[in-house]
Amino acid sequence: MLPVAVDAMGGDNAPHAIVAGARRAHEEHGIPVVLVGRADELGDTGGLEVIEASEVIAMDADPGSSVRTMKDASLVRAAEAVRDGKASAMVSAGNTGATMASALLRTGRIKGVSRPAIATAIPGPVGPPTVLLDAGANAECRAEWLVQFAQMGAVFSRARFDVERPRVGLLSIGEEAGKGSPLVKEAFGLLDAVDWSSQGADFIGNVEGRDLMGTEVDVVVTDGFTGNVALKTLEGCAKNIISALLESFESTPEAKEASEALLPALLPLYKRFNPDSYGGAMLLGTKGVCIISHGSSGEEAMANAISVASEMVSGDLVGKIHAAVS
Amino acid sequence: MSATIERDEVLGIVRDRLAEILELEPSDIGEGDSFQDDLDADSLALIELVEAIEEELGERSIVLRIEDDDLEDLKTVRDAVDYVVGRLG
Repeated sequence: MLPVAVDAMGGDNAPHAIVAGARRAHEEHGIPVVLVGRADELGDTGGLEVIEASEVIAMDADPGSSVRTMKDASLVRAAEAVRDGKASAMVSAGNTGATMASALLRTGRIKGVSRPAIATAIPGPVGPPTVLLDAGANAECRAEWLVQFAQMGAVFSRARFDVERPRVGLLSIGEEAGKGSPLVKEAFGLLDAVDWSSQGADFIGNVEGRDLMGTEVDVVVTDGFTGNVALKTLEGCAKNIISALLESFESTPEAKEASEALLPALLPLYKRFNPDSYGGAMLLGTKGVCIISHGSSGEEAMANAISVASEMVSGDLVGKIHAAVS
Repeated sequence: MSATIERDEVLGIVRDRLAEILELEPSDIGEGDSFQDDLDADSLALIELVEAIEEELGERSIVLRIEDDDLEDLKTVRDAVDYVVGRLG
């Protein structure tokens, strides 16, 4: 397999945590990796090949113009490595918009895909994570795009989480078909008319925000604005509840003692909800596999992202999406 | 610039490339169409278009760099064609 191109300069912890994660993916899982960035700043790469790139796109830079003007940026070079057949996939924890723009502009869209979408895995207490898309690539959407998001999400849910027959839901403010904005109502009609049996999936109608972490739906489709708000709401909510919980554990000696007894039972849950376990969001609809990792990604998140990228290449995710939207 | 190109050819390039990017038929794209209001082309689609135009002109030995600052003035297909023709003139 061709190596996974890793943007070594992208993210709050770049380059050292990114390089460490890349080394771990290579050394522990045997995944071929090529680093992209300023070779003299990467430290000990453990013998990993490096594609030299002199520029770094800042986290707050304008995505479109930075990709166009900074031709020698690490994430642009990573996308070019995929386009030029030197890498099988790209992973970046850098500027989300610029990562998406470089993947789109350099590798191109899969034929038939109107708009690429960002798919994020949302873990719940039990069962496989729910795939939410679009999580922020397209703030404004047409109803037909949501149908493609549903098709791509179903393919991803099957490939990534082994969900044999994904159940697809449309995010709305009520389960009844007539509920929601004009976009949601139009999308409902289009989704309901799709021959889902040929897609190996089922459309189960509208779902609500409370279903995102449940077991009733595998793929939740929405526009990028709503999807991003939903995702950030969940993240903020989880963070605040965990902080409050940890504070309560320390509130009295009895609580502290009890929490120590509970800790072994809570650790698997922590691992399940830890975003690092999933590596990042997947950009669906471009000709190359592209993982957009969280800006705060550390060694573990990066190693997992590379591992997922490699798995998606082996499973021919791009080919399967092409077949689904054709 | 080492080659020349007529306005109709530029229109053809813009229309074909835009059709490819937006998954439309070239005949569905009118010269007076607004990128945003009529064609639902977002900012990334416009950048895709700009890069595609530069690439196709390059293949015809015509060097043109479309400035990012000029992009916000390009509201319609006609604006884009006039801009390219003007820059090449």
